[in-house]
Amino acid sequence: MNMIHNLPWLFLLLPLVVAAIDWVCLNKHPRLAATLSLLSAAATLGLCIAYLTGLQTGTPGVYTWMPCSLEQLCLHLGLVMDPLAMRMMLVVTGIGLLVHFFSIGYMKGDSSNLSRYYAGLSIFMFSMSTIVLADNLAMTFIGWEMVGFSSYLLIGHWFNKASAADAAKKAFITNRVGDFGFLLGILLTLGFFGTMNFADMAGKAAGIAPAVLTVTIVCLFCGAVGKSAQFPLHVWLPDAMEGPTPVSALIHAATMVAAGVYMLVRLQVSMGVEAFTDTACNIIAWTGAITAVIAAIMAVQQDDIKRILAYSTLSQLGYMVMAVGLLAGEAAMFHLYTHAWFKALLFLGAGAIIICCHHEQDIWKMGGLSKRMPLTVLCFMMGTCALIAIPGFSGFFSKEAILDAALAKNPVFFWIGAGVAALTTFYMLRLCIVAFMGPARDHGAEHAKEAGFTMALPLLILAVMAVISGYGFIANDLVPFNGFHAHGFALGLPFYVSMGSLALGILLALAIYGLGSRTKDPLAGNCISKALRNRLYIDALYDKVIIGGLQQGFAHLMEFLDMFLIRGIICQLLVWISVRIGYLCSWLQCGSLRAYSLVSAIGLVILLLLLANQF
Amino acid sequence: MNIVSTYTWCQFAPAFALVGLAALLILADALLPKLPKRLYAGIAALGAFVAAFFMTTGEYANLFGFIATVATGLSILLAFDYTKVCCESIAGNGNEEGTGEFYALPLVACAGILCLTQARDLVMLFVSLEVVTLTSYVLAGYFRRNQGSIEAGIKYLVLGAMSTGILVYGIAWYFGMVGSFTLSAETVYSALNGGVAGSPALAFGFLLATAMLFAGAFFKIGAAPMHVWIPDVYQGAPTPTTAFLAVASKAAGFVVLCSLILPYAPFATPGSLLGRILVTSIAIVAAATLLIGNLGAMRQTNLKRLLGYSSIGQAGFILVFFLQLQVSLEQNVYDYLLAYALATISAFFAVAMVRTQRGSEEIAAFRGLGKTNPRTAFLITVSFASLAGVPLTLGFIVKLKTFVTAVSAIQNWDNFCWLLVIMVLTAATGFYYYFKVLRSMYWEKPQPGVPALRVPLCTAIVLTLSATALIILGTLPLLMRF
Repeated sequence: MNMIHNLPWLFLLLPLVVAAIDWVCLNKHPRLAATLSLLSAAATLGLCIAYLTGLQTGTPGVYTWMPCSLEQLCLHLGLVMDPLAMRMMLVVTGIGLLVHFFSIGYMKGDSSNLSRYYAGLSIFMFSMSTIVLADNLAMTFIGWEMVGFSSYLLIGHWFNKASAADAAKKAFITNRVGDFGFLLGILLTLGFFGTMNFADMAGKAAGIAPAVLTVTIVCLFCGAVGKSAQFPLHVWLPDAMEGPTPVSALIHAATMVAAGVYMLVRLQVSMGVEAFTDTACNIIAWTGAITAVIAAIMAVQQDDIKRILAYSTLSQLGYMVMAVGLLAGEAAMFHLYTHAWFKALLFLGAGAIIICCHHEQDIWKMGGLSKRMPLTVLCFMMGTCALIAIPGFSGFFSKEAILDAALAKNPVFFWIGAGVAALTTFYMLRLCIVAFMGPARDHGAEHAKEAGFTMALPLLILAVMAVISGYGFIANDLVPFNGFHAHGFALGLPFYVSMGSLALGILLALAIYGLGSRTKDPLAGNCISKALRNRLYIDALYDKVIIGGLQQGFAHLMEFLDMFLIRGIICQLLVWISVRIGYLCSWLQCGSLRAYSLVSAIGLVILLLLLANQF
Repeated sequence: MNIVSTYTWCQFAPAFALVGLAALLILADALLPKLPKRLYAGIAALGAFVAAFFMTTGEYANLFGFIATVATGLSILLAFDYTKVCCESIAGNGNEEGTGEFYALPLVACAGILCLTQARDLVMLFVSLEVVTLTSYVLAGYFRRNQGSIEAGIKYLVLGAMSTGILVYGIAWYFGMVGSFTLSAETVYSALNGGVAGSPALAFGFLLATAMLFAGAFFKIGAAPMHVWIPDVYQGAPTPTTAFLAVASKAAGFVVLCSLILPYAPFATPGSLLGRILVTSIAIVAAATLLIGNLGAMRQTNLKRLLGYSSIGQAGFILVFFLQLQVSLEQNVYDYLLAYALATISAFFAVAMVRTQRGSEEIAAFRGLGKTNPRTAFLITVSFASLAGVPLTLGFIVKLKTFVTAVSAIQNWDNFCWLLVIMVLTAATGFYYYFKVLRSMYWEKPQPGVPALRVPLCTAIVLTLSATALIILGTLPLLMRF
């Protein structure tokens, strides 16, 4: 049997099998587990590169997962292999491999069960690949839940730490809220489009009422709100930083959180932009814009290096979602792609800094790192330059693309984007100035040494990507979008405005933080800073009002119903009735042979009479 | 017609091989009394697995034969782990004497099943069915120091004789109406058109014969109203024999049913009278079987008896596949039997393990297993979850298929909604009684002073493999077709 056309299934099966082996068999052999996971990531990357460079193996097989009497209700498993998917796979497997490699250095000497950690990474690779390659929404949903699950496992890797266990739970539950809407959206799609398969959705939107379309798209968007941590479900992402830093780089910066954007773009491509009604687009764009703004503001007053990056991720995701809402899927995917490289770089750099400063995450306890670990800091600065969109770095090209699209569609979003860009520059420079310049403010930073080889190599590779990945000759071949073409660069309003906001951010940061001589934040101590540090009290609102009040009240009501109505009346009654009938059966089963023969004979006669009756 | 023209010797090669092996083992048992009996069990199980391997592909490819031989091999392996009880119940005083045949006889029964899968006429069908049944009588009553076992043997013998009587009577009617023993679409066609005499009464007599033949098959699979032997015999028979009856012998019953019903398939199209009669009677039997099996299981406290009722209930679900009178039904029946066999065999291994070490087959003997043996408890959980049909186990997938079949039968015949309702209700009761075991394992505290179970090697391997297979095939059912 020639199975070569099923080669792409290895993208899913390889990490899955490796995860199972790591988990079940290699609990006592973390090194072997790490090697296996690393090899599976490398193999999938190799396969991905082979496909991108022209390997052809025919259409991968489609399999029925759950049979059903109606063909369109069957759950199928199939793979899409278009550039959008394959190039996204390159981002996932490429960054995945680097993160696996980095983890070896980062997790060295950690006393937790490392086999579990690598199994978690592999199962994440499996789930993320499922989302990317899924050819229908049901399969996307499976991957969607699986990434939630693997993210739960990895955030809670140090589950002995109460904050990590809580953060894992928070991430999972918050995501479930969004997934509920997503599931509704999938069912609505099945109902109105008549299919869950992306390939069959084209052109079906024309015959559907706009109101229905709006509801469907907004429900599907709920999934992205949860997974891509958009306002109001953004609360889980900063807490997710409790997980190991390589995990934050892979899952909570580069790939999983971008899955929401990928899913929306996939829908836009397959349903056609006409399915995205104006109302739906406005909701999406405004959600993105609000997230971008509030996350950037909150980032200004964070002290934890990973949390600053987490808020910056939120803010950049807001950009991408805004671009999707502006029907600029191409720009959104461009930014997703450049962001993946430079944000992974920033997180891994932060990870190296944290390890070298002996697990110190507070930037005010660092300082002077540029002298002690120049290579890491240099790489980190490359990432920063890309993030704040200095011309020539990758982030600049993709941010320009989004700003161009915003200016063309709705200038309000353009000015919001420009404002967020200024804030981004400000908080990133604050981080760099405080952490890297001036004198060391604590013992950890005084004794910091350059990161080892396993950590330095991924940083260097990512730094190169952060610089070059935006140029047309690379982007045209690698940006995950069907037929992506980089726009020629032109001087104009967007360029001048973004240069203006860049300059504004730099000047403000220099004016307030100088060259790193300050020992505490001059902006801290007032009520605005307090509100920002407390995340604008959104988390507290959720805890006190929604969870403490509404949810608990509802839970009490449901418990009453459950105990009284379902358990008390329905279950007991049903059990009582069934057990009585059971008594009858066992009364017939009294043990006497004569009775048995009689039962059989009478039964047969009844059966024959029934049959004769059919004539 | 003679036997050589219908069959080739080659078809029966695996059966001959198994009988030969059994004969060798019995001879060795008589002539070399010094050898340890467990050796025979090992060789017999190995022989069965080798035969099963040959049946996966190639010349001897045989779906049901595969299930039957694997189940036979596993039940012999179960006897291997069960020697302590075997010795107590056969010779007494821990003496091995007389236990050798107990390991060899299942091979003969298995050979009978293999012949059965090849049967294309009623004589071969009858003879091979009797090979299975007669051997099973001996096996069921083999623990001669155990009253329950003797009682089971006698009951099985008497009720089995009754069903054989009905079967033979049916065969006689069949020959009388058709003038041939052949099971083929042509025979059915000519009989339905009144045969050579062209008389409609002949067709009626033919259907009567069919009904009696079906009754014989119903006895084997434990479908109502021929299910009466199951609870008592399953409870009383030695556990390895019960496992054999529950899986291999049941597979044999479904082979018979398939070969009886498939010749009718071309004429039982939706809308035809014959189709309506066949499908309605199967639906009635399936519904009665589902109700009796599942409701009867609810108040059982003895796990072997519960598994007996469960096997009746599961047979009811398999019968639903026969509403779809097409060749594809064989594949579906096979899938269901596979899921059922994997889960049931593990359940019997667990029963045997608990019986050997805690001296009881009650569900209560499983209490606290979740605390004392968490891994074993998990493996047992998987098999019971699969029997109940929990998603992500193979049991769920095959149960889903029965529902799909029922729904398409409703569409084809515009009837049988009641069957679907009964299926839903009985599937729900399944959760109640299968989960009794889980409740006992996880929610009840272990008895103080009772040590953790020591899991014997074969039991550990079988439980692990079957749980893995149930989960992998349950998450990726498409692997079943590779």
